[in-house]
Amino acid sequence: MVLIAIIDDDPDILEASKLVLKSHGFDTITASNPDDGYKIVMENNPDLIILDVMMDEPDDGFFLAQKFRKNNVKTPILMYTSVSKTTGYDFGQSDMVPVDDFVEKPISPEELIEKVNKLLNKN
Amino acid sequence: MKDVKEHNAEKMLKDYSPRVLIVDDEKGLRIGTQRLLEMEGYYVETAENGTQGIDMGTKNDFDLAVIDLKMPDIDGLQVLSEIKNVRPNTVCLIATAYASYDTAIESTRLGAYGYIPKPFTPDELLYNLQKAYAQRLLILESEQLKKEREANLLELANERSRLSTIINLIGDGVLVINKQGEVVYRNNSVFHNLNIVEAKDNKELLSKLPDKIIDLINNYLGSDELIKKSYSTQIEIIQNELFIEAITSPVPNPDGSLAGVAVVIRNITELKKIELIKNQFVSMVAHELKTPVAAVLGFLKIIIDKNLKISEDQQNDFVSRSIVRLRSLLDLVNDLLDISRMELKTKQREIVTLDIKEIIKSTVELLEIEAQKRSISFSLVMEESVPVIKADHNEITRLFTNILSNAVKYNKEEGSISIITGSNENYLIVKVIDTGIGLKEEDKEKLFQEFYRVKNEHTRGISGTGLGLTIVKQIVDSYHGKIEVESQYGKGTTFTIYLPINNNN
Repeated sequence: MVLIAIIDDDPDILEASKLVLKSHGFDTITASNPDDGYKIVMENNPDLIILDVMMDEPDDGFFLAQKFRKNNVKTPILMYTSVSKTTGYDFGQSDMVPVDDFVEKPISPEELIEKVNKLLNKN
Repeated sequence: MKDVKEHNAEKMLKDYSPRVLIVDDEKGLRIGTQRLLEMEGYYVETAENGTQGIDMGTKNDFDLAVIDLKMPDIDGLQVLSEIKNVRPNTVCLIATAYASYDTAIESTRLGAYGYIPKPFTPDELLYNLQKAYAQRLLILESEQLKKEREANLLELANERSRLSTIINLIGDGVLVINKQGEVVYRNNSVFHNLNIVEAKDNKELLSKLPDKIIDLINNYLGSDELIKKSYSTQIEIIQNELFIEAITSPVPNPDGSLAGVAVVIRNITELKKIELIKNQFVSMVAHELKTPVAAVLGFLKIIIDKNLKISEDQQNDFVSRSIVRLRSLLDLVNDLLDISRMELKTKQREIVTLDIKEIIKSTVELLEIEAQKRSISFSLVMEESVPVIKADHNEITRLFTNILSNAVKYNKEEGSISIITGSNENYLIVKVIDTGIGLKEEDKEKLFQEFYRVKNEHTRGISGTGLGLTIVKQIVDSYHGKIEVESQYGKGTTFTIYLPINNNN
């Protein structure tokens, strides 16, 4: 069974994402802060990581993604963003932002599943 | 042919009698000349020797003087010299029977206009006087012109100094560059706005200007055709932490060619800082507003999605979670409105005499249900006679609601909240002491910032807008009061609120 780790500080987003993924047959583990997130990934070695860009601090998600890559975690990362369109920050894929794809909040179930499947098939 | 001046002199004689002084020791000549000249329309006075001549010629401003060279008491040249000394504009003629080359030179040197050889015919005398009078008019006219010119120059100088004072007073830097690229004018604000401490001359000043300004100036100077447009650019001078706006405009000659370039330099550092704060605030607000919307939309999409078969219980759970999120969104919008109203001061304040004890009691009553759920107890220690304050009832109620609801929200099970009132000479003092989760040192500093919420293992699950204490601080500040916070992490927090007492009543 495919295991997906979801790391987001909004419990409602965690709950909704969990439900959507589960209904499509994915197993999930969750964490609501960067430290716990790092721990569950290292302990469970998931097939995919879903990571919110903004947790306690506006760039916590980026730092966590960088930490994964530095520690040789090559698991694909799908990043939740809620700011790019509203604030004009334009996140692109780069060494600074070592993630594989983005999903803009509010999340639509179809888009989430589509992107998850795409990343899983790639690997 | 008579020149114009002589013609004018002739005409003038009809309206005005030129004043002539005759200085001669020969009585017959004096009387004869006087009679002749008076008939011709002159006004004549006579002096019978040199001493009298000097006396009369210096006391009055004669138009003309005819001075005999040889007199028994004082020499005619002496008389001429004395009169000229005091009355330089009196045109003097020397009359003599002993004309010599030397005396001619000497008398001219002393300021004589001409020389009449004796004996002279009436025509010769009149002709010479007419010419002399024309000279007198010329002198007077040029004197007049000189005075006017001096007055104009003075006015111009005043105008320039006034203008320069005004330009020096304005806060914008003004810089004028000529076609050769040299600084021809600058006011003091140029130095101030560009943070240039010293430039010993305009050349050095030019070398200290930012490259972008030089580029703009060269645009004008290097173009074959006159550029009529003004250009504006914003420049960040990083080493000086400065932000400036430079506006360049062409200065045209009357014929339309380029005379130079005028540059206005404005310091917009503060403006940029405010802009940055505003942008940060807007993006924070946008994020805070979007977060609950995203959560609710997520739930709704799940509920409506036919492929996701969720149970009725789950559906109900999602709906009630959505309601919670929307309520908190509404709270947030209300808080934001309060903040902007406070800042715009558009809120209509109703300043009345307030009984602070009453407000605290009713606020505690409202929070009691929530507190009892977690077995949190209130204790009120209030002085019999608490000084009255004058303030808006809604604002002070809001202040204590925010402080006391935080004391409940961030308290522990079976914790307590003590409210103690007191006063000193100037302030009504309210202490709110809770036995809650307390604050770390780094959180204390940021506590009153917009949207700042303490995040640690104890605060998970506590909802809030992050604006409650921001509003508290705004209200306290607006009444010239103050708020202090003491805290021990894990033990509890004490807020002390000082509100000024209205001493007038």
